[in-house]
Amino acid sequence: MYEKLVNLICNYVEVKPENITPDSRFMEDLGFTSFDFMSMLGELEDEFDIEVDEQKAADIRTIQEAVTYLEGLVGQE
Amino acid sequence: MVYSTIRDILQHAAEKFGTEEAIRYKVGKGATESKTYLQLKGDSECFSLALQELGEQGSHIAVTGPTSYEWLVAYMGIVNGGSVAVPLDVSLPAQEMCELLDRADVTTFVFDEARQDVADMAKECCPKLKYLISMQKESRTEAEQGTEAGDVLSFHGLVGRQTGKFTDMPDPDKLCTIMYTSGTTGKSKGVMLTHRNMAENATCLDMKIPERTVIMSVLPIHHAYCLSMDILKAISLGAIICINDSLLRVVKNIKLFQPNMILMVPLMIETIAKKLEDVSGLPKKLVKRQIFGSQFHTICSGGAYLNPAYIDLFEKYGITILQGYGMTECAPVISTTVSWNIKKESVGQLIPNCEAKTVGEELWVRGSSVMMGYYKMPEETAETLHEGWLATGDLGYVDDEGFVFLTGRKKNLIITKNGENVSPEELENKMSEERLVQEILVRENEGVIEAEIYPDYEYAKKKRITDMEAALQKIIDNYNQGAPVYKRIYRMKIRETEFEKTPSKKIKRY
Repeated sequence: MYEKLVNLICNYVEVKPENITPDSRFMEDLGFTSFDFMSMLGELEDEFDIEVDEQKAADIRTIQEAVTYLEGLVGQE
Repeated sequence: MVYSTIRDILQHAAEKFGTEEAIRYKVGKGATESKTYLQLKGDSECFSLALQELGEQGSHIAVTGPTSYEWLVAYMGIVNGGSVAVPLDVSLPAQEMCELLDRADVTTFVFDEARQDVADMAKECCPKLKYLISMQKESRTEAEQGTEAGDVLSFHGLVGRQTGKFTDMPDPDKLCTIMYTSGTTGKSKGVMLTHRNMAENATCLDMKIPERTVIMSVLPIHHAYCLSMDILKAISLGAIICINDSLLRVVKNIKLFQPNMILMVPLMIETIAKKLEDVSGLPKKLVKRQIFGSQFHTICSGGAYLNPAYIDLFEKYGITILQGYGMTECAPVISTTVSWNIKKESVGQLIPNCEAKTVGEELWVRGSSVMMGYYKMPEETAETLHEGWLATGDLGYVDDEGFVFLTGRKKNLIITKNGENVSPEELENKMSEERLVQEILVRENEGVIEAEIYPDYEYAKKKRITDMEAALQKIIDNYNQGAPVYKRIYRMKIRETEFEKTPSKKIKRY
């Protein structure tokens, strides 16, 4: 999940994969906008056939938090 | 055709497009359902009758939730039945929403069950509230449902048990809707709009959009821009309004609904532009077909300023972006671009019901869309309305052809790229409650909200705080957790010296 997410992040913002860490924050460190973030999660919904909760997604700040949340959803499927 | 009430718009659409599809929405993965113009009119009249039966006709009725058929029926039922609708932002913290319910003198609250927390809190904190109506609650028998104060009523139950038509016509110049917008002093203001304000704003300009156009609605429904253009204008055109169920799924839903047109804010346009640039090596026609479908042709942009470079970029893909300008106080459109007359640096031409002048560099507008005033805020109203002219707070001018050009902002308000207005003072006041924050300035920087903080170093010393950045970040994180996404602080700067002050001891902003 982590690698997949990092690759996808690079499609949304100008950042090198090696500069992304689990603690990187989407908005503050990577320069994501709220709509970038939502769109990216939408892509992951398709890829993993999961349903992301918009409210919960709004509280995700770091890559690690996103990985944990998404892995939890994939585990439920 | 120009209409002076929302009821007229719906009436006309129901007569002309009766059994045609009006609203299309998702009911599961990939499945959709729809309602016709006659159903929309009939259901909304039933809700008007239900409010009359509850003794609530003419009262202030709040409605909150994501865009849904129920939301639209509730709104139309409220305003067409002679009551006043108060649409509230579904993402507001419960306490803030209860405060607005109270300030707007709301007596009935129609809510999506996602905000059951607000309904629960409102029961305790809003003494003027008589009825709570859930958009999802199962309909039961009348006896089971109860109509005692404090009971949660079923929206479907109330609508379903009505028969007959609601025939009263609302007065075009009576209050129709109160919409809350961020105030420069940190306290949000209730913009009072009449039926005429809303209806004429939506219908006075013929944009040559064909009847039965398919429109996908992606913006929050409590916004004047969405309500006026996505809903009212669309109904006046007999359009098919497709409801996007989540910002997560805009691209997916474009494929599902195959719209011709979408209203967007610059934030969305910028994200989609990145997607287009990602595949810039592929033929443009193919990319457009993949992302939008071959039927798609127009994006209307509003809410905030869009860099004209995006207009050029989308043009290459055969998509026209029509940039507009407005504010809730003007119901909301002031100017818009039309496809046959574009000046890219301008925010469009004044719409026919609006005139403008420049007063000391500030743009003032007048016309049938200008609000009645701010609800129970006479001072703020007097500061903004001057003998029918609305001081926009924006600096700009209008050329000989009526094109509006904006040059800056007079009012101290952050307009985010998703069209939300955020008062820096509101955030500063909240953050200042923290002992460690001695002085703070909130502003926009590179598209995000930034806080510059001068900490109380004495206090930090006393409390043995050694990692100032971590301590302040924790304060910001706590604030962010309770704040709607668009009010969150994403960047912080720490000062070692106090801010420079004005003679009245206020922090110098610029």
